[in-house]
Amino acid sequence: MIIPIRCFTCGKVVGDSWEEFARRVKAGENAGEVLDSLGIKRYCCRRMLLSHVEIIDEVLRFYEEAEKRKEARNFY
Amino acid sequence: MKIEVLEKDERNMRLLIRETDVPYVNALRRIAISEVPCLAIGEVVIIENSSILQDEMISHRLGLIPLKTDLDSYNLPEECECKSEFGCNLCRVTLTLDAEAKEGTRTVYSGELVSENPEIVPVSDKIPLIKLAKEQRLRLEAYARLGKGKNHAKWQPVSKCTYKYLPKIEIYSKRCDGCGKCVDICPRKVLAKSQDKIEVRDLMACILCQDCVKACPQNPKAIEVSGDENTFVFNIESTGALPPERVLAEAVKILDKQLEQFENDLKVKKDED
Ligand code: SF4
Ligand code: SF4
Ligand SMILES: [Zn+2]
Ligand SMILES: [Zn+2]
Repeated sequence: MIIPIRCFTCGKVVGDSWEEFARRVKAGENAGEVLDSLGIKRYCCRRMLLSHVEIIDEVLRFYEEAEKRKEARNFY
Repeated sequence: MKIEVLEKDERNMRLLIRETDVPYVNALRRIAISEVPCLAIGEVVIIENSSILQDEMISHRLGLIPLKTDLDSYNLPEECECKSEFGCNLCRVTLTLDAEAKEGTRTVYSGELVSENPEIVPVSDKIPLIKLAKEQRLRLEAYARLGKGKNHAKWQPVSKCTYKYLPKIEIYSKRCDGCGKCVDICPRKVLAKSQDKIEVRDLMACILCQDCVKACPQNPKAIEVSGDENTFVFNIESTGALPPERVLAEAVKILDKQLEQFENDLKVKKDED
């Protein structure tokens, strides 16, 4: 749903690296190199970011759309 | 016992511990993981939650946020004088959160938690807690208490606490013909070839996997890898709740206390006989 706070296996905090990781990978950087530069060394922590899908963004879209419709109704 | 610091920064520490043995080093490792206390949120009162995550999930996320811990001013709940289930100023820290998405979808970060004690704050301000769509709101009060890793992993002050024997690599130059097979196979690039000789480039990186020995075509083998059983490379990575050196110091203290307790128990048994 949303990026886990810590690595499931070792307990290192990985949540705070997610946004930078996602931004840089989207911009075309090599994911492995980004992880290295963020200091995420162990493969248990690396898979946390590599395999994550931020589904909460998809769910939030429904609420955003509903909000837009409500605003449109109020406008007319 | 002799201790040498190989590497140290805010979160990590690598030590070389000489003249000791596995039982002692392993006891320290286990205590650092499961007995050294640190602060974590244990109870959450949700006042308002119109977000799309359930109360339980938010509480769980809050619990996992490592908090900078002050071990000198806080007591473990079971050792606190207040004897209260709810806790007092000496065994509980209150954090509050009031976040609302007024403009549109936004992320709420750990930095928005307001602590009653400015020293006890999340180790990072950038941990995403939740995302709120417009007009959603989250208001809560959370209570952090000291606890031990053996009860819940959120109270574990270390994310890595390991040791290994100090590697010992011996190359018998008489038998070695410099074929370089050991250099190629080594996963940690420990060995290097210079002219027809094999050299140890980075001894500490060796993980004692013995691949180089297996790869050596000579019989008997021209390379031998073993661990020094009385010297350890000890590695601590703190979650940020406590500095790594403090974790180790506490572990030693706790071990001493437990040994003393054990000795007393034995004495009582003897008296009874
Ligand atoms: S034991 Fe493994 S890590 Fe160590 S030098 Fe040989 S191949 Fe490399
Ligand atoms: S594999 Fe054996 S013989 Fe070949 S370089 Fe290494 S130690 Fe020497
Ligand atoms: Zn991990
Ligand atoms: Zn108390």
